[in-house]
Order: sequence, then C-alpha cells, then structure tokens
Amino acid sequence: MEKQLAFYFDASACTGCKACAIACKDRSDLPVGINWRKVYQYEGGGWVSHPENKDLLIPSNLFVYSVSTACMHCEKPICMEVCPATAITKREDGVVLIDNTKCIGCRYCEWACPYGAVQFNEEKGYMTKCDFCQDLQAKGQKPVCVDACVMRVLDVGELDELRAKYGNVSAIEPLPTSDLTEPAVVITPHKHAQTSGSGTGHILSVEES
Amino acid sequence: MDIREWALLIFTILGQLAAGALLVLMIVRAYAAAKAGVKEADRMTDGPLFMVVPIMGLALLSSLLHLNNLGNVVKAVPNLGTSWLSREVVIAVTFVVIAGVYTLMQWRKIGPTILRDIIGWIATLIGLVQTYAMAMVYMIRTQPSWNTITTPITFFATTLLLGALAVALALVINYNSIQKKDAKAGEKQLDLLRGALQGIAITAIILLGIEFLVLPFYMAHLGSAALQSLKIMTETYGLTLVIRLLLVFLGAGVLATYLYRNASESGKEKTLTILSSSAFVLVLVAEVMGRFLFYATHVRIGL
Ligand code: SF4
Ligand code: SF4
Ligand code: SF4
Repeated sequence: MEKQLAFYFDASACTGCKACAIACKDRSDLPVGINWRKVYQYEGGGWVSHPENKDLLIPSNLFVYSVSTACMHCEKPICMEVCPATAITKREDGVVLIDNTKCIGCRYCEWACPYGAVQFNEEKGYMTKCDFCQDLQAKGQKPVCVDACVMRVLDVGELDELRAKYGNVSAIEPLPTSDLTEPAVVITPHKHAQTSGSGTGHILSVEES
Repeated sequence: MDIREWALLIFTILGQLAAGALLVLMIVRAYAAAKAGVKEADRMTDGPLFMVVPIMGLALLSSLLHLNNLGNVVKAVPNLGTSWLSREVVIAVTFVVIAGVYTLMQWRKIGPTILRDIIGWIATLIGLVQTYAMAMVYMIRTQPSWNTITTPITFFATTLLLGALAVALALVINYNSIQKKDAKAGEKQLDLLRGALQGIAITAIILLGIEFLVLPFYMAHLGSAALQSLKIMTETYGLTLVIRLLLVFLGAGVLATYLYRNASESGKEKTLTILSSSAFVLVLVAEVMGRFLFYATHVRIGL
C-alpha cells in the first residue's frame, strides 16, 4: 500500500478553543482572512414546550460539538485534478502541496475543494493552504497545530495505522461526505456527531470559524 | 458575484455567441450556395463573418481578467490531462485562430472554395467543442448546482440562440447595405435573406421551447441536490429569474414569430431591421441574466 500521511482528530474531546488554528496562523504568519486551520462549531436540536406548562421551554436534543479542520491531503485531491497549471502536486508520502511559482491565481481549486482548505492570498496573487508543516515533520517534529492542542486531540500519522488504531470515520457534520475527495483523516466522533450528508444542525457563526 | 465571475460571464457568453454565430453562418452559407450559387452566398455571408473573430477576441480579453495576466495563459495549459480549464484555454485559442484564418481566406478569396468551406467547418466544429469545454469546466462534483446535465444543455442552447439571432441581425444589416449600393443585386439577395430569416426564427422558437423545457428539470435537480442554490435562486433572485424568462420569451418567442411572418411576406423589409435587432438585444440581455443566475447561485458542498 502507498504511504499516506494523515491527520487524526478526536472530536469527542475537542473543546473548540482554537489554539490549533492560532498556532498555525502564527507559524506561517497568515494574513487577515486566511486560516489554514479552522475550528467549526456545529450545533443542532431545539427547544420544545414542556408537556405540562406550554410557556416553559425545555431543550430537546440540543447539542454542540467542534471540528478542527485543515487541508485533508486527500487521496483523491480534487484541487489537483482541476488546477490548470499543475501547481498542486501530491508527494510520495501523500502530502498535497501548492507550488506558488506555478500558481496563476485562477482560484479554480477554491471552487472545487469541499473543505475550504485552499485560500487565496490577494496580496501575493497565489493560492495557499496547509503544507502539513512539512519542514517540521522532516525534522521528526509534529506540526504546530498538533503540539498546540491543550486537549491532545490532534495528531498526525500514517493513515493505515491511524485507522487500525481509531477506526474508519472520516466524515462527520459539518464536513462533506468522504467519497468526494477521500480525505486523509481519521476522526473519533463526538457522541452527538451526525454523519456527513444527513445533518440536521448548522455551523455556528461561520465568520468566526 | 465578484469581478472574476463577471469576467467569466462575459467570456462564456461572448465565446458562445461567437461559436453559435459561426455555426449559423456556415449553415446559411450552405443554404445560399445551394439555392443561388457560391457568388451569392459569398455576398450574403462574407460581411457578417467579420463579427466572429472580434467577438471571440473580446471574450478572450475578458478571460484574461480571471487569469490575471497574459503570461498566465501559457501557464494555464499544462494540465490537459485532468483540468477542463486547461483544455478550455487551448480550445478557445485554437478556435479564434482557425476562425481568423477562415475569415481571412474568405475575405481575400485565398484558395479554392471547397478548401475554405472545409476550414470554415473545422472552425465551427472547434467552436462547438469550445461550448462543451466551457460546460465541463463547471461540472465539478463538489458544485451540485453546476454538476448537472442541464449545464451543457443550456450552454448549447445559448450558443445556438445567440448565434442565430446575431446572424439574423447581421444578415439584415448586410442586406440593407447591398440594397443601398445596388438595388438589382439586392433583389437577388432578398429571397435568400427571407429564407434564412424564416429558418432562424423557427430555430429560435424551438430553442426557446428547449430552454423552458429544461427549467423544471433544473429546478427539480436543485431541489434534490442543491437546496441552498434553490433558495438563493427563488428568494434572492426570484425577480431576476422571472424577468429573464419574460425577456427570452419576448425575444425568441413573440418577436421571432413576427420575424418569421414578416420575412414570409414581401414588402416588409423595413420591419426586419427593427425586429431582428430588438429580438437579438432582448435575448442577449436574457441570456446574460440567465448566466448571472448560474454564477450567483452556486454553492459548494462542504465548508
Ligand atoms: S482538502 Fe481540499 S485542498 Fe486539501 S487535498 Fe483535499 S481537495 Fe485538495
Ligand atoms: S489558483 Fe493556483 S493552485 Fe488553484 S487552480 Fe488556479 S493555478 Fe491551480
Ligand atoms: S499542519 Fe501546520 S500548516 Fe497544517 S494546519 Fe497544522 S499547523 Fe497549519
């Protein structure tokens, strides 16, 4: 089997503190508006009337959980498929990278990637995204998002090994279904997690994610 | 919609207009040649032919806006293996070059007629492939409002409809100028013009039917696979959609019917100018609005 580096994310223990996202932003000095790692809060359920007192509202199936996302270094990277400039490549170890000298800034990949992972740098005129902290990983270190997590819910590893250890879940709401791009991610679902494509909730404050 | 999407809107509309115009001109030309000989056919279509390359040129110019600069056109080519954007660039440039060669040969009467016709048809074919490529650019599996068979169908409908009505107008203008210069030559042309306009009017009405037929299927598709797009379409842009449908109905339905009638009777030459120009303008605006909705309502799957 080919190698495929992947993220592990434990949604059952993530508090949604966004330390990972901030660490990532800091490491790569990302400008306003660009966040390679984002944390989405997904909530659902609602309030219903109390059976004995109509005016009293009680929660019904209320839930909220967080999902930390970045580029999923997909096994079927649609960004790479559509890029006209061959600026996006997939390395032997599965890491998907953008060569900014080749990128013409057409933003076609942005239309295609269902994780919102590719983000356009207006000033520089090219597309950017998570590079898996390849410089650190080459030195045997973990990515800064992984190290920054206070709850230890993020990790990286070989996809097969992660799957053997944590199972096969790769798509919980609000992530897209995994048939689209086959993301290299293993998720331990939150107890309220809904399967992608059949969600009844919604993302809380998209702007904040 | 951002500037980039406006640039793409202009690129696709003008590119389809150019491709459709060349196709309809080639058909009109074959019809005229069969009916009255090559000389009359030349007289009828040589003038209108001059619109194809400038329109396609404008289309390419606006596409540069989304490729950021000229050098990037070359950089956008390498991924012919999987990227429809690469393919589209190559096909569009090939189209304008071959259409240009054909126009030049036709204008200067370089080479035998048969050779010119062959090149003209090759250019036409590439123009149609271009419409197909333009549609495929949007057939991305993460864009449910685009990734449906109605995208190529409507792109081809736009190609033919705009092409047909633009050619109708160009033929009328060309006829008027011939008539002014040489009344006798004009008389010979009038028959051909009327025949061509009748054909074009019928084509427009059929295409209108297709556009209206496709609409419920498209809406149903949005309802099942792209709910958010449907919501934007009906809630934010409901009025735009209604106006678009009204305009295309007026242009390709009502005015085309009058065009057909007036082209069938003699002595109605004057009204042909007004009818063909207003039909073209209405349908152009309607198709631009339709394309606007196409871009304004797409919502990607996922985050
Ligand atoms: S998450 Fe998006 S950008 Fe990353 S590899 Fe997958 S498709 Fe490409
Ligand atoms: S923006 Fe850059 S990376 Fe994305 S598709 Fe265009 S050329 Fe490729
Ligand atoms: S691996 Fe590095 S670049 Fe990617 S999200 Fe984590 S910190 Fe950011």
